[in-house]
Amino acid sequence: MAESTPMPARRFDPWPATIFVMLAVLAVLFLLPTAGVVLSSLKTTHDISMGDLWSLPATLYLGNFREALSNPSVHRYLLNTLLVTLPATTGSITLGVLAGYVFAKLPFRGSNALFLVLVAGMFFPPQAILVPLFRMFNAVGLIDTLWPVIVVHTALGIPICTLLMRNFFATVPNALREAAIMEGASEWQVLTRVVLPLSLPALAVLAVLQFTWIWNDFLWPLIFTKSDDKRTIMIGIVNLKGQYSVAWGVQGALSLVASLPTLAVFLFFQRYFIKGMTMGAVKG
Amino acid sequence: MNRQNRIWRTALLAAPLAVFGLFVVWPLMSSFYYSFTNWNGFNPNYDFVGFANFGKIVTDRLFLNATINTAIWMVAAIVLPTALGLGLALLLDRKLPGARFFKSVFYLPICLSAVIVGQIWIWIYQPDWGLLNTVLRHVTGAEHNWAWLARPNTALWSVIVAWSWQQTGLSMVIYLAGLTGIPGDLLEVCEIEGASPWQRLRRVVLPLLTPSTVVVVALSVINSLKGFDILYIMTGGGPFNSSDTLAMHMYNESFAKFRMGYGSAISVVLFLIAMVVIGLYFRQLRKVDRIYG
Repeated sequence: MAESTPMPARRFDPWPATIFVMLAVLAVLFLLPTAGVVLSSLKTTHDISMGDLWSLPATLYLGNFREALSNPSVHRYLLNTLLVTLPATTGSITLGVLAGYVFAKLPFRGSNALFLVLVAGMFFPPQAILVPLFRMFNAVGLIDTLWPVIVVHTALGIPICTLLMRNFFATVPNALREAAIMEGASEWQVLTRVVLPLSLPALAVLAVLQFTWIWNDFLWPLIFTKSDDKRTIMIGIVNLKGQYSVAWGVQGALSLVASLPTLAVFLFFQRYFIKGMTMGAVKG
Repeated sequence: MNRQNRIWRTALLAAPLAVFGLFVVWPLMSSFYYSFTNWNGFNPNYDFVGFANFGKIVTDRLFLNATINTAIWMVAAIVLPTALGLGLALLLDRKLPGARFFKSVFYLPICLSAVIVGQIWIWIYQPDWGLLNTVLRHVTGAEHNWAWLARPNTALWSVIVAWSWQQTGLSMVIYLAGLTGIPGDLLEVCEIEGASPWQRLRRVVLPLLTPSTVVVVALSVINSLKGFDILYIMTGGGPFNSSDTLAMHMYNESFAKFRMGYGSAISVVLFLIAMVVIGLYFRQLRKVDRIYG
């Protein structure tokens, strides 16, 4: 709103400076918690237990990262997380593209109602399907594998992916599709050759959102996996707390290592991330 | 042509609907079914117990406790991140040096996982060297080693603060998007007409932000019904169930005590609450759509 009301050069206006200072103070307060983890990861356990966690380290101590990264369990956790995140991200986006295309370009009687049912799927608490899913995967012997985590994340990603893809496809002119069909293209060719190449921004938004949510998830791997070599990194961190109970620095380093992929994705695709958050604005 | 469309529709919708049906809709239906049984999670046999699980809910002291905590959590989760996010959005919605940097700082916590957020705040609340007690010691000069997360009267609120820290960025982003939709000329007219900044905010900006508020509030409610990970990490629902929520209670009954039938009954109640909220949200959204088109 204020962007179109530039401050005219009348007398001195104290507001911009005041607001800047307020924001700076708030920003420091907001950064403090994260800064604590970064600081701790660069200090020895001895320094921290001396009550020195929250000060700047005199020397950079990288032993915590060495310890965290040389732990074979951590390798396993990270690999497992990738093995879940990549297929589930790809799977949910693919299914969302298929459904979104039909809802945007081939609507039928009752398609709006069906669409609403799908989208409602992103609101309800996952606890409502925990027990039956556990029983289902238990019956086919897939508990304590990564499969249920992949499958459930794929299924639960369908609502948000369908919603965003449908809304994006709706902005692609119908004339484009009709022209291609007149030229003898099949619906599949229209989707893959005409519409999808135009949809890269929406696909990027979804890739970022889904990657972040699935990587960060805690509940599903907690329910579906048991043995240590099937755990994902977020569960792994909690498990390793016992091993590094007073090695606060190693815990800090672990937290940073586990957040690095999502932080990297966030920093590279910041614009897409915010866009997805506001467009989707719905998934929690 | 029409026939072909029908074939394509079926072909394209088959996979997404099958996956969604099998792994979301069907389990949801089954939850209702299991809520009438006493299944324990392992034994292939179970009995129908009718409404016994729901009868137990009514008398379960822990369920009542979890409901109250969920309500507290919900109200706090609506008020704190929404107010903070709105404030930040109003401050940031102007040409400022470093605006991009500020925005990044405020929404950075959203992309951290609940586990990491929990970890971070456990350290802040740590009794001996945690940031909070350290600051209190310096400010008051007295000894402070209150164990924030281990005391029944501060545990829930301590988690709520951590949760608000993470969620504020989300409401800020939604409000910022809403603010870009308010025409600048409108505010200029108000200024020319002599409206004070406070009047402009109260009478013009806030009413025009209603659609964003609906989204933010609905999200807060829904996310607070899901509130599980961060509690599991920070308090596990304790001490003495003082920070237990419905989602947490459901997990404990089903997967710690293996009363899956009873757990299903709790999840059915949770689902019904969520449905009411979603229904209200959609209705409100339609009303907002009609007014603000």
